[in-house]
Amino acid sequence: MSGGTMLYGGDEIGALVFDPGHHSLRVGYAQEDSPKAEIPSVVGIGSSAPDTNLDPETKTDNNVTPNNSDGRKFYVDTNYVNVPRSQMEVQTYMKDGMIDNWELFEKVIDYAYANVIQSEPEYHPVLFSEASWNVRNNREKLTELMFEKYNVPAFFLVKNAVLAAFSSGRATALVVDSGATHTSAVPVHEGYVLSQAVVKSPLGGDFLSRQCRQHLEKLNIDLSPVYKIASKDVVKERDNARFTLRKLPENLTQSWQNYMVQLMMQDFQMNVLQVLENPYDERVASQIPMVHYEFPNGYHQDFGSERFKIAESLFDNAMLGAGQLSSTSVGMCDADVRLSLFGSVVVTGGNTLLQGFPERLNRDLQLRAPSNTRLKMISANGSVERRFGAWIGGSILASIGTFQQMWISSQEYEEAGKSQVERKCP
Amino acid sequence: MASGIEVSTECKGIFEEIRKLKQHRYVIFAIKQEREINVEVVGRRNASYDDFLDDLRKGGPEECRYAVYDYAYHHQCQGASSTCLKEKLFLMLWCPMQAKIKDKMLYSSSFAALKKEFNGVQKYIQATELDEACRECVEEQLRVLDRN
Repeated sequence: MSGGTMLYGGDEIGALVFDPGHHSLRVGYAQEDSPKAEIPSVVGIGSSAPDTNLDPETKTDNNVTPNNSDGRKFYVDTNYVNVPRSQMEVQTYMKDGMIDNWELFEKVIDYAYANVIQSEPEYHPVLFSEASWNVRNNREKLTELMFEKYNVPAFFLVKNAVLAAFSSGRATALVVDSGATHTSAVPVHEGYVLSQAVVKSPLGGDFLSRQCRQHLEKLNIDLSPVYKIASKDVVKERDNARFTLRKLPENLTQSWQNYMVQLMMQDFQMNVLQVLENPYDERVASQIPMVHYEFPNGYHQDFGSERFKIAESLFDNAMLGAGQLSSTSVGMCDADVRLSLFGSVVVTGGNTLLQGFPERLNRDLQLRAPSNTRLKMISANGSVERRFGAWIGGSILASIGTFQQMWISSQEYEEAGKSQVERKCP
Repeated sequence: MASGIEVSTECKGIFEEIRKLKQHRYVIFAIKQEREINVEVVGRRNASYDDFLDDLRKGGPEECRYAVYDYAYHHQCQGASSTCLKEKLFLMLWCPMQAKIKDKMLYSSSFAALKKEFNGVQKYIQATELDEACRECVEEQLRVLDRN
């Protein structure tokens, strides 16, 4: 399509979409159905000591960025971060839904361009999603980074809640997003976030992982992640595991080991945990069939009522439960939009894939909403849509022909600077 | 945040026909070639609500649409013995569940453009399933606007 009067005159095909979250950064080309890559939001930082690990995966490659001023090495993406290396610390670059450690973040973006996109940044407009509570300073910094360091031809920033609402076919909605580090309720009105009514809590997927870990440690179940295990035997249920340990490099850091246990817990919670439709009741929970789970070391057993009890913590908190969070947020909005917000509650985020999450939220909201309210929950059925809802929304938006006039072009950036982002991307 | 899609002049004209001149009962709009919102169906003044729902879904179960409807109903004020006829305009965003995400995104992000052009609409209604677009549900929402 040719747009004669458009400020940004480049080839509109080939825009890139980045959707940063606490669990991962989703990267890919606009117009595609799902992201090309999901890069974990952590970076491994190795010491300057020469790497003596002979693991085939650690062969020298362009992923590792050596020769920093202080000689540190950075490891990005699952295949590199998950390899045991001595003295490699693991650190995230996200904090409270926003990019916090820009040095690490740039490493990840470098990696994404080199290994995922495999193209030069200056050819592709870039659309970023952001948390609804992102602050001006951060937004301008990102704009500056993309134009100054990566020389992108055009840039745009959209709130992820708006993308989630739009991709569910709603211009006005309450977006309940439960992710790795927090659960938030964000009212979107006619395509704009009502930022004074955003409510969030730190109860998310990572919180559940910690609960699972505590619970399993109390049961004296050995939590050896898969990297420790060289071989294992088949054992009977609840029999002690028989496995041999792998030979590992010395001085594995605590942060890396914790990260690996956390990954294992994420698998456990997605397979085992479930939310009851009504508040936790031992009798109800014990009647539901047990779920079998095998740990990486070969130990396996059935899990019964505890799998509901752990998940219950997302809802039974008086202040921070998902239902309370949502109704508080609606209550902070103008009376005339409350009905339409209750009338379209969009559920998104990886943590909502927990079995029973939308149903329970529905029940909890029903109790808190005024009695004559028509409550309507909208949640994508597919796990891809739920996890990548914002990315998919961004992917479509960036590919709409008429959207091309909305971008901040590099020309505009040069003329008016980074404050453009506040004007063009509200 | 908007998609940049524009409302055709034809839409603006026909909206005035329904708002001021009351020539039609309803009008259904569609986005053409991801560029512009155009008129798709014009409903006769004596058409029924079911005709409207049929026309709304004429494109198939996966198609999104916009619609303006001049809804008439009887309203009895508290303390009054007789009822009076009320007519209210509502603007609907119809994004069925089965629609492609691309279309949902396109229609919902362009809804604002239509709202801006159509002054005098009393109620905006979003629907993804038939129970939100049905007569009862719509009437309930319009009646909320009345004082008792």
